[in-house]
Amino acid sequence: MSRDEVADDKGFEQFEKFLEAWSRRDFLKRAGAAGAYMAFLGGAVEFLDACAGGSPTTTTTAKKGGHVVEGNFSDIRTLNSMLSSDTASNQVIGLMFDGLLNYKANGDLIPALAADLPKQSADGLTYTFKLRPNLKFSDGQPITSDDVKFTYQLAYDPQYAEVSSPRRGDLSKYIASIDTPDPQTVVIKTTQVFAPFLASHGLYGILPKHVLGSLSAKAINTADFNTAPSVTSGAFKFVSWEKGQQVTMARNDNYWAGAPYLDQWIYKVLPDSVAVTNQLKTGEIDIGPVDPGQFDALKTTSTVAMREFGVPTFTFYAYQLDPSKPAGPLFQDKAVRQALLYALDRQSIVTAVFFGHGKVANSVEPPTSWAYKDKPQVLVNFNKAKAESLLDGAGWTKGADGIRAKNGTKLKFTMITNAGNKQRESMLTVMQQAWHDIGVDATPNLIQFPQLVSQIVSIRTFDLFLVGFNWSADPDVSPLYHSRNAVPGGFNGADFKNDQADTLLDQALNTLDRTKRKQLYGQFQDLMSDLQPSPVILFNNGIYGVNTRVQGTDFGPFNQFAQRPWNHGVWVTDGK
Amino acid sequence: MIGPSRVAELDMPGAAIEGASTRPAQSYWNESWERLRANRIGMAAGILILIFALIAILAPVFSAVLTHFQPQTIDLSQTFSPPGGKHLLGTDELGRDTLTRLIWGARVTLGVALLTVAVSLTVGTAVGMMAGYYGGWLDDVLMRLVDTVLAIPAIFLFILMSILFRPTPVSLALIIASVGWGQVARLVRGEVLSVKQRDFILATRSIGARHLRLMLRHLLPNVLPVLIVAASLGVGQIILIEAALDFLGLGIQPPTPSWGNQLTNAESYFFHSIWLVNFPGLLIFVTVLASNVFGNAIRDAFDPRLK
Amino acid sequence: MLAKYVARRFLASLVVVLGVTLITLVLMDRTRGTYVPGIDLNPALRPEDIARLRADLGLDRPFYIWYITWIWGVVHGDFGRSMIDGSTVMSHILDRLPNTLELTGTAILIGIIIAIPVGVIGALRHGSKADHTLTVVSVAGFAVPQFWMGLILILIFSVTLEQHGLPWLPSSGAYSAVNGGDFIDRVEHLILPATVLSFFYMSTWSRFIRSSMLEVLSQDYIRTARAKGMSERRVVYLHGLRNALIPLVTLIGLELPGLVSGGLVVEVVFGWPGIGKLAFERALQYDYTTVMGVTFFATMLVIAGNLLADLLYGVLDPRIRYS
Repeated sequence: MSRDEVADDKGFEQFEKFLEAWSRRDFLKRAGAAGAYMAFLGGAVEFLDACAGGSPTTTTTAKKGGHVVEGNFSDIRTLNSMLSSDTASNQVIGLMFDGLLNYKANGDLIPALAADLPKQSADGLTYTFKLRPNLKFSDGQPITSDDVKFTYQLAYDPQYAEVSSPRRGDLSKYIASIDTPDPQTVVIKTTQVFAPFLASHGLYGILPKHVLGSLSAKAINTADFNTAPSVTSGAFKFVSWEKGQQVTMARNDNYWAGAPYLDQWIYKVLPDSVAVTNQLKTGEIDIGPVDPGQFDALKTTSTVAMREFGVPTFTFYAYQLDPSKPAGPLFQDKAVRQALLYALDRQSIVTAVFFGHGKVANSVEPPTSWAYKDKPQVLVNFNKAKAESLLDGAGWTKGADGIRAKNGTKLKFTMITNAGNKQRESMLTVMQQAWHDIGVDATPNLIQFPQLVSQIVSIRTFDLFLVGFNWSADPDVSPLYHSRNAVPGGFNGADFKNDQADTLLDQALNTLDRTKRKQLYGQFQDLMSDLQPSPVILFNNGIYGVNTRVQGTDFGPFNQFAQRPWNHGVWVTDGK
Repeated sequence: MIGPSRVAELDMPGAAIEGASTRPAQSYWNESWERLRANRIGMAAGILILIFALIAILAPVFSAVLTHFQPQTIDLSQTFSPPGGKHLLGTDELGRDTLTRLIWGARVTLGVALLTVAVSLTVGTAVGMMAGYYGGWLDDVLMRLVDTVLAIPAIFLFILMSILFRPTPVSLALIIASVGWGQVARLVRGEVLSVKQRDFILATRSIGARHLRLMLRHLLPNVLPVLIVAASLGVGQIILIEAALDFLGLGIQPPTPSWGNQLTNAESYFFHSIWLVNFPGLLIFVTVLASNVFGNAIRDAFDPRLK
Repeated sequence: MLAKYVARRFLASLVVVLGVTLITLVLMDRTRGTYVPGIDLNPALRPEDIARLRADLGLDRPFYIWYITWIWGVVHGDFGRSMIDGSTVMSHILDRLPNTLELTGTAILIGIIIAIPVGVIGALRHGSKADHTLTVVSVAGFAVPQFWMGLILILIFSVTLEQHGLPWLPSSGAYSAVNGGDFIDRVEHLILPATVLSFFYMSTWSRFIRSSMLEVLSQDYIRTARAKGMSERRVVYLHGLRNALIPLVTLIGLELPGLVSGGLVVEVVFGWPGIGKLAFERALQYDYTTVMGVTFFATMLVIAGNLLADLLYGVLDPRIRYS
C-alpha cells in the first residue's frame, strides 16, 4: 500500500507539515489548530512558503534512505508492549508496534491501526473499532482483530493470568469482554463507564498472535520475542539489541501509513546529560533530550535545532497527611500547608533551577490538558508576609532559636527526594532556605529512587517528599488524589482523603461528556487550590535537540515518548 | 586502587628494616627523620597536606573572617558569578560562594579520609598482629575473613553499602574502611611474621613477658613504619574513592559540600562555568598528589635502599 | 606438593566464595523494599498489580529460602533471571564480559608500553631533572579523579576536535551506532576510556620498574658484567631490564583480580557496556538477581586471579616455598 493510495493520509500529512511550519512562527502560535486548518484550506500553504525567509527551510521533497540515531539515558528492558512499564522500553516499542489509536501533539486521539475513532454505544460501555483494510505485520501476515484481542487478553483474560503484565489490574477491572465478529472488527465491552479508557488503554502495541499465540502464559514471560521481536506492527522492524548500547531498527515496508523514508532508526544509550550535549554537537546522535542547564550550550550549535514544548510532567511536593505518622500533625492545618507554599518563590525556582524552561503551576492539571483551569479559586503567589501571618494566625510562634513552635512542638521536618536528580536536589535546598526565612526548620535528605518510591507507595514514614510525575492525555488524576489510592501500594502517598474530591473525581470518570468533565475538573482544581495537600511547584518543558539534517519530527506535549504518529515521516537531508 | 599497598607488600620494607631493628630503635627513627627532612619536595608535600588540614579544621573561622559567607547560604540572584569581586572564586548554581564551600568541603573530604585511615589502621593492625603473632587456627580464621572481605571487588561493596546506609561522612568512612582494614591486616601480618623469629622476641618470651606487652612494645614499633607509609598513601587513595563514589551518586549528598560532589555537580555546567569544575578538581589533584609524594618520601626515608 | 597447595587453596577459596555470596545477599536483602524493582513511578500501577508482580518475582520469600534456592541454581550454572528485564543473568554477563576485558586488557597494555620506558629512563638517569620530572608526572597521573580526566579528554578530543573540523574520537559506547563494529571502529572507541584507565597502571608500574631496575643495576653481577667489558647497552637491556621485569609480571598478575571491576567508573563515564556498569546500574535499581550473579562471578575471578598470581609468583621466584 503506497502513500498515494490513501488520499486521507496525504491530506493529513500535508496538514501536519503545514502545522509544523505554522508553529515556527511565534506570532501565529496562538491561532490554534482550528484557525490553522481554516488557513490551510484557504490555500495558506503557498502563502507560508512564500514567507519562508528567516525560518528554517522545509524542502517538500523528502529523501529516501539514511538513518537517525536517537539518544537517551536508560537501556530498554523488554520489547513486549504488554509487559513493559518503563519509558525507555515504551519509547522503542512505540517505534515498532502500533496500537489501535495514537495521540496527536495535544493529546487528542487519532486512529492508528483502527481506521477511525471507535463508535461508542449510547450507554458508553461498548467501543467498536474497525481496522484499516489490508493491514500487514512486518512479515507480510495480515493484522486482524484476532491479534488485537490476543494482545489485550494477555492482560485481562484469566487464561493468561500468569503473564506478568503491569496492566492487569486496570484491564481486568475495566474490560468485560472483547469480541471479534469479523477480521476487521473489534468490539470491546467495558464493565463500567470509564472516561479515560481509550486514552489510557487504546494505544498498546498490537502483538502478533501467529507468533505468540502458541505459547503458554508462563512461556510468554520469558519468550525470545520479548528481547528480539521477529514480527512488528509499527513503522520499523527489529534488527538487533546490543544490551547496554543500542537497539537497531530497520524500515518496515509493510507499514500501514507507508514505508518510512529512513533505512534505520537507532536508539542509543548514553551515560548522562553531558554526553547528550556532547554527542549532539559532534553529530554522534541526531536526537536527544536536553537538560535545561545545557540548553544554552546547545543553542549556539549551528547543526542542532532546539524543540521546546510544555509537557504533562510536573514536579510537586506532598505533605504527610496521615495524623498517625510523626509529621502528620504538623500539616493537618490548611493554614500551614498554604503558608509554606506562599513562602516559596516558585518563579525564581523556575528561573534559577530550570533556567526558565518551565512554568509555575497554579493547578494540579497540566497546562497542556483540555481540563486545565488557569486561574483557580485560590491563587497562591509568592508572598512571604502572608506566609508569616498565616503561621502566626495558626498559632505557630517563633521561638528564641527563630524556629516556630506550637504547644511545644517545633515546625521541623525532613524532606526527601531522589539522589542523582540535580534539579530536585537544588529545589530542596531552595525550599530549605525559603522556609528557614519564615521560621521553619526543613532538612533535605537524598535517597535512592527505589527507596523514594517505596516510601511514597508503601512505607510512608516520610515527612515531606518531592517528586516528578507524568500524566497521560486524560485529565483523570485519581491515582494521586483519590482516597482509595491512599492504601499501601497506591500512589496517594500523602494520604489525602477528601470526600468532595473523591466525588468530583468519580463523577468525572463516569461520564464521557467532555464539557461536563471539564466543569467537574474545574471544581476539583478550585478545591485543590484551597486545600493544597500536594502543592505543584512547576510544569516542566520538554526540550529536544534535533540535528538540522533531520526533518519531519513533530515533537509535542503528547508526542514525545512512545506516542509518535510521525515516526515514519522522518527523513534526513543528506540521505546518510 | 589496590595498587600502592600491594606494591608496598612486594617491596617488603619489612625485609629492609630487618637489618635495622638490631640497631637501637632511637637512632633509626632519627636517621629516617633526617632523610625525610632532606627530601625537600617530600617535606613540601607533607606541609601542604598539613595546611589543608588546618584550613579544614578552622573552616568556621575562615568562613567568618575571610569570605564572610556560609557554605549553605543560597542567593538565586547571584548564580554562576565568575571569580572575582565579592566572591573570590565565584558562585555555583544556587549562588553559594565557591571558596567557602571548598573550605568546608575540605573538612568533609579530609575528615572522611583521616577517619577511614584511622579505623583501617586500628582494626587492620589488631587483626594482623593477632593473626601473625598467634598463628595456627586463629591465623587461618582471621586470614580467611580478610580474604573474604578482599575478594569482593571493593567498588561493588561500596556501591551496595552506600545504597543501604545513608552516606554521611562518618558512615562513608566506615564503609571505605570496611575494605581497607583487610589490606592493612595482610601487611601487618607479613611484618609480624618476618619479625617474629627474631632472637630478641624469643628471648623476651622466654622471660615470661605477656603477649599483649610483647605485641605493643616490641612488635608494634617495627610495624609502625609500614603503617605510616600506608596511612600517607591511603589518604590520597581514599580521597579518590570518595570522589568516585560522589560521581556515582553514592557519596556525600548535597547540599553538604565535599570536593568530590562539588566536582561532580559542576560537570554539567562545564560549558559556561568552567571554574566550578576546575577548582575542586585541582584541589583533589593537588592533595592526592601531595599524599602520594609524601608517602613515597616517607617510604624512601625509612628505607634508603629503594631510593 | 603443588597439588596439595592448590587443593588447600581451593578449599579455602570455596569458603571465601560462600562468605562473599552471603555478605552480598545480606546487603541486597535490605533492598527488597516494598515495591517492584525497576518500575518507574507509574500511575497506572495498582496495589494489586504491585503485590502480584512482587510475588511473581519471588520477593516475598524469606531470606534463607532465597539463598538456598539461589545457591542450588548456581551449582547448576543457573544464575536466574534479572528482576527487571527477565533476561537470564548469565546472558547479561556473557554479553558484557568481553567488553570489560577488552577495556581493562587494553589499559594494561597501554600501561606496560608506557611504564617500561618511563621506569627505565628514570632508573638510568636517577637523581637527574628528567628523573624527577618523570616521577612527578607518573605520580600525577595517579592523582587525577578518573571521571574528571574522562570529561576533559572528551571535551578536548571529541567535541573540540570535531568543532574545528579535525579528526575526532567518539565519546561513548564500544562501537559506532551505525555500521559500526569493525576493528578500526572499535579501536577508535577504545582509545579514550582505555587511556583514562591506563593512568593508574602507568603510574604504579613505572615507579616500580624504576626501583626494581635500580635494585638490579646495583647488584654484583651487573658490576661484574661491566668489569668484563660488556657494553653499557647490553648491561642495561640484556641483564638489567630482563631481571627487573620479572617482578613486573607478578605485578600484572596481581591486577588480574581487578580486571573485572577496576574499570567501573570509566565504564560509567564513557557509557562502556561492561560488567562494572551493569552491576552499578542494576544495584541502583535493586535488581537482586543480577547483582548477586555479577558479584559472584567477579569474586570467582578475583579468587582465581589471586590463585594464579600466587602460583606465578612462586614459579618465578624460586625462593618462595608453599608452606
